[in-house]
Amino acid sequence: MNSKTRLFYLLPYVLWIGLFVVTPILLVVYYSFFDLHGNFTFANYEKLFTFVYMKMIASSFWYAFLITVFCLLIAYPAAYFITKTKYKQLLLLLVILPSWINLLLKAYAFLGIFSTYGAANNFLEVVGIGAQQILFTDFSFVFVSVYIFIPFMLLPIFNALDKLNPALIDASRDLGASAWTTFRKVVFPLTLSGVKSGVQAVFIPALSLFMITRLIAGNRVITLGTAIEQHFLVTQDWGMGSAIAVFLIITMFVIMIVTGTRKRGIQ
Amino acid sequence: MEKEVIIRFDNVTKRYDSDTVVLDHVSFEIERGKFYTLLGPSGCGKTTILRLIAGFTEASEGDIYFNGKRINQVPANKRQVNTVFQDYALFPHLNVYENVAFGLRIKKVKQAEVDRRVKEALRFVNLSGYENREITEMSGGQRQRVAIARAIVNEPEVILLDEPLSALDLKLRTEMQYELRDLQKRLGITFIFVTHDQEEALAMSDEIFVLHEGRIEQSGTPTDIYDEPINRFVADFIGESNIVPGKMIKDFEVEFAGKVFECVDQGLNPNESVEVVIRPEDLEITSWDKGKIQVKVDSQLFRGVHYEMLCYDEAKNEWLVHSTKKAIVGEEIGLNFEPEAIHVMRLGETEEEFDKRLESYQEARHEQ
Ligand SMILES: Nc1ncnc2c1ncn2[C@@H]1O[C@H](COP(=O)(O)OP(=O)(O)OP(=O)(O)O)[C@@H](O)[C@H]1O
Ligand SMILES: [Mg+2]
Repeated sequence: MNSKTRLFYLLPYVLWIGLFVVTPILLVVYYSFFDLHGNFTFANYEKLFTFVYMKMIASSFWYAFLITVFCLLIAYPAAYFITKTKYKQLLLLLVILPSWINLLLKAYAFLGIFSTYGAANNFLEVVGIGAQQILFTDFSFVFVSVYIFIPFMLLPIFNALDKLNPALIDASRDLGASAWTTFRKVVFPLTLSGVKSGVQAVFIPALSLFMITRLIAGNRVITLGTAIEQHFLVTQDWGMGSAIAVFLIITMFVIMIVTGTRKRGIQ
Repeated sequence: MEKEVIIRFDNVTKRYDSDTVVLDHVSFEIERGKFYTLLGPSGCGKTTILRLIAGFTEASEGDIYFNGKRINQVPANKRQVNTVFQDYALFPHLNVYENVAFGLRIKKVKQAEVDRRVKEALRFVNLSGYENREITEMSGGQRQRVAIARAIVNEPEVILLDEPLSALDLKLRTEMQYELRDLQKRLGITFIFVTHDQEEALAMSDEIFVLHEGRIEQSGTPTDIYDEPINRFVADFIGESNIVPGKMIKDFEVEFAGKVFECVDQGLNPNESVEVVIRPEDLEITSWDKGKIQVKVDSQLFRGVHYEMLCYDEAKNEWLVHSTKKAIVGEEIGLNFEPEAIHVMRLGETEEEFDKRLESYQEARHEQ
C-alpha cells in the first residue's frame, strides 16, 4: 500500500480523534485556567490540593482500588475455570451478556433488589439474619460496581489464559513444580499482560464513576466523577470541574504507563 | 551387570475419546541405564507413551510401574523423570539461564551450585554465552538445545526426549547424536528417545521399539530389527527393502521371482506362502549370465556414497539396488546375493511367535 492510500484510510480516524478526543481535552485544559467570572487563574488547581478535594481524591482512589481488587479476585479464577471447560464460548458469552445492557437499567434493577422489601432482604429474613439497610451503603456501591466491571476484567484475562500454551504447564510440573508453584512461576507471569489490561479497563472508569454513586450509594460516596458532574451541572463552576478532569486525565496516563507492557529486562 | 527394570508397562491402553484407541494393550520393560528408542510413523502413539511415563496423562487401562511401584496416580512433579518436549515448551518469560535453572530453583539448590550446573549444561549443548538471551531471540535449533539442557541439568533417573534433534541441521544433528549417546553412557541415565528417523534410531539405541497404530510391532537391538524384521511394516519402515512374495518349499529352500534359492530360514510349513526381504545393499550387480536373478535397470540416482538403481525382473517385481558400481539405464543385468541376505517373513506372525520359532531352531541346532 503506498503512502497516499494509507493516508486516505487513516483520514476518518484522524478526524474522529481530532474532533472528539484532542479538541475536548484542549478545551478542558483551557477552561481549567478560568474562574467563575472568566478571569485567568491558577486557583482551581490550588483548590485541588486543599483538604476537601484531597479527601475526595483519596476516597475515589480507595473505592476504585477496592472495585479493581474484587473484580480481579473474582474474574481470574472464573476465567481460569472457563478456559478449562468444554463450553468456553458459551460461558464467556454469558459473562459478557450483561455488559450489553444499559448501565442505568442495571442500576435500577439493583435498586429493586437491594431495597427494604427487595429480594435480598427477603432472603436475609428467610435465612434468619433479618432485614438490613443494604442500599446506600459502601457495600452496595462496591458490589454493584464490581458486578458492572467484571466482564471488562474477565475478558482480557480469559484471552491471556486461553493463549497460554498448555505444554508450559506440563513442562513446569515435569521439572518438579507443584500446582501452586506452577501458577506462581509460570501461569500468572504469562497472563500478567491480561491482568494489566483488565486493571486498566476497570480502575480508570471506576475512578470517575458517577451515576451509581448517586443511585446505589445515595451520594454517600463522592468520587471525582461525581464532583465533575456537580461542578458542570449544578454549581456551574466549569473551571473547577475542568481542573478535576485534567487531574483525572493525567492520572489515567500515569496508570497506563505504569501498567503498560514495557519490554521486560533480564530478571 | 544385572538387569534392573526401571519402568514397566503392563497392558496399557490409552483412549482419548471413548472409542479412539491410541495405545492398544502395550506392554514393555525399560532397563536402567540403557538407551531406548521409540520409532514409528507420525501419530502412532510415541508422544502418548512419553506422556504416560511423565505423568501428563492417565492410562485408560493397565498399570505403569516405576522402580517396581505402581505410579498410575503419582503426579508429574513427583516423578523422577524429565522431558524434552516435542515443541520445546520453553518458558517465554524467562531467559535461557532461568529456563535451564527452573528445575534446580524448584529444588532450592544453592545459587553457586545452580550457576555451575546451568553453565555446564549449556556448555554441553554448545550454548555457552547465551545465558542472558531471551527465548524469542533464539533459533529453532537453539531452542531445542535449551530444552535438552533444561532436562539434563536435573540429572533425573530417566530422560524422555521427544524428537529432540528434529530442528537441527545434519552436521549439528550428528554431533548431538554422538554427544547425547556419550552423555547417556557417562551419567548412566536411562534415555527414552522418540524419533521417526530410522537411521538415528539405529545409530543411537541399545534397544528399539517399533510402533505402529498404537501397538509395538517389534522390539530388539538395532541389528535384530534391521536384519530380522518380523513383518512387512517393520521391514519397510526400518531402512529400504525389497519385499517380494515367495513360497517356502522346505527348510532352507525358498522360491521367489520364479526360481528356488538356498536360504537360512527354517521351521515353516512346506509350501507356505511367505514374504521375502532382501536389503538393497545386499544385492550385488554382475553380468546377465552370472546373476541369480536377471533384471532390467529402469532408473538410476547418484546418492553420494552409492548409486541407487530401480530394476524390474521378468515377473515385474521391483528391485532396489545400492551399489558403488554404476549401471547403464535400460541395460539387462544380473543380481547376486548370499543365502544369508534372504530374510523370510511369515504372513501375520506376531513377535512372540517369531521369537518362539527362532528359539526352537536354535535348540535344534544345539541338538545336532
Ligand atoms: N489430546 C488428545 N486428544 C485426542 N486425541 C489425541 C490427543 N493427543 C493425541 N491424540 C491422538 O493420539 C494419536 C497418537 O498421538 P501421538 O502424539 O502419541 O503421536 P506421535 O507418535 O507422537 O506422532 P508424531 O510423530 O507426529 O509426534 C494421534 O492419532 C492423535 O491424533
Ligand atoms: Mg509426537
